[in-house]
Amino acid sequence: MGAARIDARVFPKRAEDTPPMPQDNRNDPVRWLNGLRRVARGPLVIATVLPLLSGLLLLGQAWCLAAILGAAIVDKAALPTLLPLIAGFGGLMAVRIGLGAFAERAGGIAGEAIKLAVRQTIFAELIRRRRPTDLAASSSGAIASVMIEQVEGLDGYFSRYLPAMAQASLLPLVFAVVLLPVDWVAGLVFLLTAPLIPLFMALVGWGAEAASNRQATAMLRLAGRFGDRLRGLTTLKLFGRAEAETAAMVSASEDLRQRTLGVLRIAFLSSAVLEFFAALGVAGVALYVGLSFLGLVHLRLAPLSLEAGLFLLLMAPEIYQPLRLLAAHYHDRAAAKAAVAALAQTLGTLPQVAPDLPRDLPVPAQARAPAGIELMDLSLRTPDGGRRVLDGVDLSVRAGQHVALLGESGSGKSTLLEALARLRSYEGEIRLGAEDLRQVNESALRRRLAFLPQKPQLFHDTIAANIALGAPWATRQDIEAAARRACVTEFARLLPEGLDTGLGDGGLGLSGGEIQRIALARIYLRDPDVIVLDEPTAHLDAATESQVLDGLLDFAEGRTLVVATHAAAVAARIETVYRLVGQSLLPAPRVGRPPARHRIEGAA
Amino acid sequence: MSSIRTFLPLFGRQMGWMALALLLSLMAVGAGIGLLGSSGWFLTAAALSTAGAGFNIFGPSAAVRGFSFLRILARYFEKMAGHDGTLRLLSNLRGWLFARLFPLVPLNDRDSRHGDLVSRLTADVDALDTVFLVAIGPILSSVVVGMGMTIALSLLLPGVAWCYGLAFAGAVALVPAGVLAASRRAGARVVEETSALRVATLDALDGHADLIAFGALDAATTSFRDVATSLARTRDIPMTVAAAGAAGVQLAMGAAVVGALLLGLPALADGTISAPLYVGLLLAIMASFEPTLVLVRAIGKLAVAGAAAERLDRIATREPAVAEPLHAAPLSAGSTIAYHDIGFSYPESRRVLDHLDLAIPVGGRIAIVGESGSGKSTLLKLLLRLADPQHGRVTIAGADIRTVPLAALHARVALLSQDAPVFHDTIRNNLMVGRPDATDADLWAALEAGQLADVVRALPKGLDAVVGETGRTLSAGQARRLCLARTLLSGAEIFAFDEPTSGLDPENEQAFFAALAKAAPGRTLLIVTHAALPPGIVDRTYRMNEGVLTLVE
Repeated sequence: MGAARIDARVFPKRAEDTPPMPQDNRNDPVRWLNGLRRVARGPLVIATVLPLLSGLLLLGQAWCLAAILGAAIVDKAALPTLLPLIAGFGGLMAVRIGLGAFAERAGGIAGEAIKLAVRQTIFAELIRRRRPTDLAASSSGAIASVMIEQVEGLDGYFSRYLPAMAQASLLPLVFAVVLLPVDWVAGLVFLLTAPLIPLFMALVGWGAEAASNRQATAMLRLAGRFGDRLRGLTTLKLFGRAEAETAAMVSASEDLRQRTLGVLRIAFLSSAVLEFFAALGVAGVALYVGLSFLGLVHLRLAPLSLEAGLFLLLMAPEIYQPLRLLAAHYHDRAAAKAAVAALAQTLGTLPQVAPDLPRDLPVPAQARAPAGIELMDLSLRTPDGGRRVLDGVDLSVRAGQHVALLGESGSGKSTLLEALARLRSYEGEIRLGAEDLRQVNESALRRRLAFLPQKPQLFHDTIAANIALGAPWATRQDIEAAARRACVTEFARLLPEGLDTGLGDGGLGLSGGEIQRIALARIYLRDPDVIVLDEPTAHLDAATESQVLDGLLDFAEGRTLVVATHAAAVAARIETVYRLVGQSLLPAPRVGRPPARHRIEGAA
Repeated sequence: MSSIRTFLPLFGRQMGWMALALLLSLMAVGAGIGLLGSSGWFLTAAALSTAGAGFNIFGPSAAVRGFSFLRILARYFEKMAGHDGTLRLLSNLRGWLFARLFPLVPLNDRDSRHGDLVSRLTADVDALDTVFLVAIGPILSSVVVGMGMTIALSLLLPGVAWCYGLAFAGAVALVPAGVLAASRRAGARVVEETSALRVATLDALDGHADLIAFGALDAATTSFRDVATSLARTRDIPMTVAAAGAAGVQLAMGAAVVGALLLGLPALADGTISAPLYVGLLLAIMASFEPTLVLVRAIGKLAVAGAAAERLDRIATREPAVAEPLHAAPLSAGSTIAYHDIGFSYPESRRVLDHLDLAIPVGGRIAIVGESGSGKSTLLKLLLRLADPQHGRVTIAGADIRTVPLAALHARVALLSQDAPVFHDTIRNNLMVGRPDATDADLWAALEAGQLADVVRALPKGLDAVVGETGRTLSAGQARRLCLARTLLSGAEIFAFDEPTSGLDPENEQAFFAALAKAAPGRTLLIVTHAALPPGIVDRTYRMNEGVLTLVE
C-alpha cells in the first residue's frame, strides 16, 4: 500500500502500525459523503439550482452585448436607441450576481450544517466506545486533528464541488445546443470537445486523489507527533534535545512539503488541460469566424453577422468555464475523500450520521441499596489484548464490605478495577448485586458505582467545576463539603481564587497528589452503592494519606469499597486484603485481625 | 494584521519564489487579456474588411495562438512556484515556532494549554499560507494589471479610462477593505472557537474514563455541541461577508463594462476610435477583472490568518520564564550543590520556600520527605532552573547556576519529574532521548537498573517495540520505570528524582532503591519521596514542612 511506504520515511519504526483502510462497500467514502446530503437538503438544492439559472441568463447577457456592438458598428445606431439593450445587459448581470451570492450563502450554510452534524456524530462515536483503549492506536492529538482539520475539509465537497459538478455536466451541453443554430460548425465543435474534458479530468483527478490521500495521512501523523512531543517538551529540553527535536520537526514538515508538491504537480495538470481547451476555444472561434468573414472559409450557407460572430466569441470561454470551475474545486472532492478515509482509519468505521443521538432512557431514582460484587470465572487481558492477567477468578464481596487489592505493578490490578467499572471487556461474569454487570442500565450503573481511575483527568475548568463533574445538581455547599472531605480545601485555599481557580492542561500547576484528591472529591458529591478506587493515595505523604483515608473510610461506611493500592497504610485500615499473584486472587491473611468471613475460590 | 510583520523575515527567505510566482501570474493574466482583446479586434476587423484574401491574417492568428500557449504555461508554473514558496515558508514557520517554544519551557500559564499549542502549531501556521498565495499575490497582480489597463485606456480611449479606473479601484481596494473590516472580529473568533473545539475534544478523549465513570458523558456531549454550534455560527459571518464581497467585485466589473459602453459608444460613433480597437478594448476590460475574482473568494480567510499571526506573535514575543545568562561562565567540574537563603513563590500564589538553606557534598545522597505540596518538587525545579528563586541562589560546584549555560546545567543534572512523559515511539528512541549516542549495551544496562529489562525482553520486538501515546501499552509502573531508565542512562553527575517509585509496589520499590545504590556510584543524589527508604541508600533525610527543611535524625 502506497500510504504505508511513504509513512515509512517519516516514522520508520511505525509503518507496520498503520491499519489497512476499510474499503468495503458500506464504508465507501463517496457514498458516505453523498449520504450526508440529507442533513442539509434544502440549502444544497438552492446552491445547485441557482448557478444553473444564472448560466442560462448568461446567454441573454452575452447576446445583449453582441447585439449592442453589432448595432453600433454595423448599423451605426446612436447611443439613445441602444439604451434598452444596455439596460438589459446591466440588469441581467445584476440578477446573475444576486443569484451567485445567494447560491454561495446557501452552499456555506449547507457545509456548516453538515460539518456540525459530522462532528457531533464523531464525538458521540468516540465517547460511545466503552473502553478508551479502543482508540489507543490513534493518539488523541491525531483524533483531535480529524475532528478539526479533516472535518473542516468536508464542506468544500458540498458547498463548492457538488454545485460545480451540476454546472459542469449541464451548462456546456446547453450552451453548445443553443449555439448550434447560430453556427453549426462552432456548435458542433463545442458539443464534441466538451464531453472529452471530463474524461481528461477524470484521469488527472484520479492521480491527484491518490497523492492527496497520502498527504492527508502525513498531515495526521504530523499533528500526532506535535501533540506527543509537546506533552514532553520539558523533558526534551532538559535532556538537551531542543535542537534535535526542532530539526526533526522541520524535516517532517519538509517531507510534507515535498509530498504536497507531488500532489499539486498533478492537480495543476488538470487545470492546465482545461486552460488549454478554454484558450483553444477562444482562439479557434476567433480564427474560424474571422476567416469566415474574410471569405477564406466556406462552411456556412448564409453569411455570418458581426453580432452572431461576437456572440460566439463571448460564449467560447463560457463553454469551458463550468469545467474550469469544477477543476478548481476538484481538490475539494479529493480533500473530502481523504478526510473520510482518515476518519474511517481513526474510528475503524464510518459512523451513521443522524440528527438525534441515542441516549439511555432515564431511570427513576431509587433509594440506595448497598450492593455486593461477585466475580465468576473472570478472565482479563492486558489493554493491548495480549497477555492474560487474570484467569478464571471467583470472588465475592458482600454489600458494604471493604476490600483492598495488592499486587506488583503490571499484575493487572488496574485492569480488574476497570472491568469492575465496566470500562473494559472481560470473559466470565461480574455481578453487581443481583444483576449481570453487562445488563445494568448505563446511567443507573454510573449512579450506583463510583470509580477513581489511576490517572484521573482534570478538565479545562475551575477546581469547583472539576469536582462537580457529572453532578450538576451539586450546590456550592456540597462542593465545598466534598472538597473538605478530600483535603482539597487545604491546598485550594492557598490558590489565588480558591476553588474557583482555573486549571490548565492535565491540571497544570497541581501535583499528582492534588489531582488525585480533586478526583476523590468528585466521588464524595455522589451517593454510590459501590466505590472502586485505583491507588487513591499514590502521591501522598503519610500525614495527608491518613487524613484522606479518614475522609474516605467515613464516606465509605455502609458502602461497598474496592481499593487497589501499594500503600501499606491503606491496606492496614481495610478489613479484607487480597493479593493479585500469577493471574489469580489470593487472600492475604492479616495479622491481629480475625480471618475474613467470606468465600474465596481463587482458582487457576 | 500588524502581527504579520513579525513574520516578514521568514517571508523574505522565500522572496525569490514569491517574485517568480508574481511575474508568472502577471504574464498569465496579461496573456488572457491579450487573447480575448486580439480575438475581438481580429474578428471585428475581419467582419468590416473588404479586402478579402488581401487581409493579413498571419499577425492576428500568430498573436491569438501565442497568447493561448503563453497563458497555459504561465498559469501552470505560477501555481507551482507560488505553492513551493508557500510550503517552504510553512516548514520554516513550524521550525521557527518549535524552536521558540523550547526557551519558554516550562509553559505553565493558562494561555498555553496543550490543546491550544497543538492548534497553534498546525492550524495557525497553516492559516498563514493564505497571506501570500491568496492575498498578497493576487492583490499585487490585480493592482499592476488594473494600473496597466488604466494607462492603456487613457491613451486609446480616454473617456472611459477614469470610469474603469474607479471601478477597478473599487474591486481591488474598497471591496477587500470592507470585507476585511467586516470579518476581522469574526475571523479572530473562528480561530479561538476552533481551538476551544480542540480542547473540548482532547478533554473528552483524555478524560474518557472519568466522564464515563461519573456519568458525565451527556454533559460533555452537550457542551461539545454548544462549542461546535457556536463555531458553525461564527463561521457563517465571514462566509456571508465573502459572498457579499464577491458580489461587490462583480458589480464593479459590470459597472466598468456598462461605463465603457455608455462612454465609449459615442467615441465609436464620432470616429475617435476604430470599431476593431473598441471591441478589442471592451473584451480586454472584461478579461482584466479575472485576478480580482480569485482575490475576493479568499480575502475572508485573510482575517483568520491575521488572527492566527497575532496568536503566534504572542508566543514568539513572550519573555522566557528563565533567561539564559548574558555572559555565561563555564561550569567547572564537580557536583556539590548548595541552596543559599532561597525564597520562592509561584506567581500570585502562596509562598512555597522561605529562607531555605541546604548543602550537598560531592557524591552526597539526600532524601527529602514531607507533605505533598510542601515545596519538595519546587526544590528540584530550582536546581534545573525550571524556575528561578525570587531570593537567594542555587550553586553547583560553587557557581551560581544563573551564570552558567543552561545546556551545561542540564547536562550535569538529570531530572525524573513526577509527570515524566513516555513518547509514542520505540523503547529505544524513548531511552535515547536521555543519551543519543547510547549503545545497545548501555540501553540494556539502564533497563536493568530501572527493573524493566525482563519486561522489554519479553516483548516481541524488544527495544524496537513501540509504546503507545502516554505509554498506554505499558502499565503505569512500567512507564514510570522506562522514564527512570532514561534518566539513569543520561551521563549526568547529579540525579534529581521526584517520586521515582510512584506506581511501583513495595517489592519493586525496594529492588529499585537497591539497584540505585549500585547504578549511580559516586553520583550526587537528591530524592524527593514518600517511600520508606531502606537503610544505607541516602546519607541524610530531611523533612520539608511549609517551606522549611529539618534534618530527620
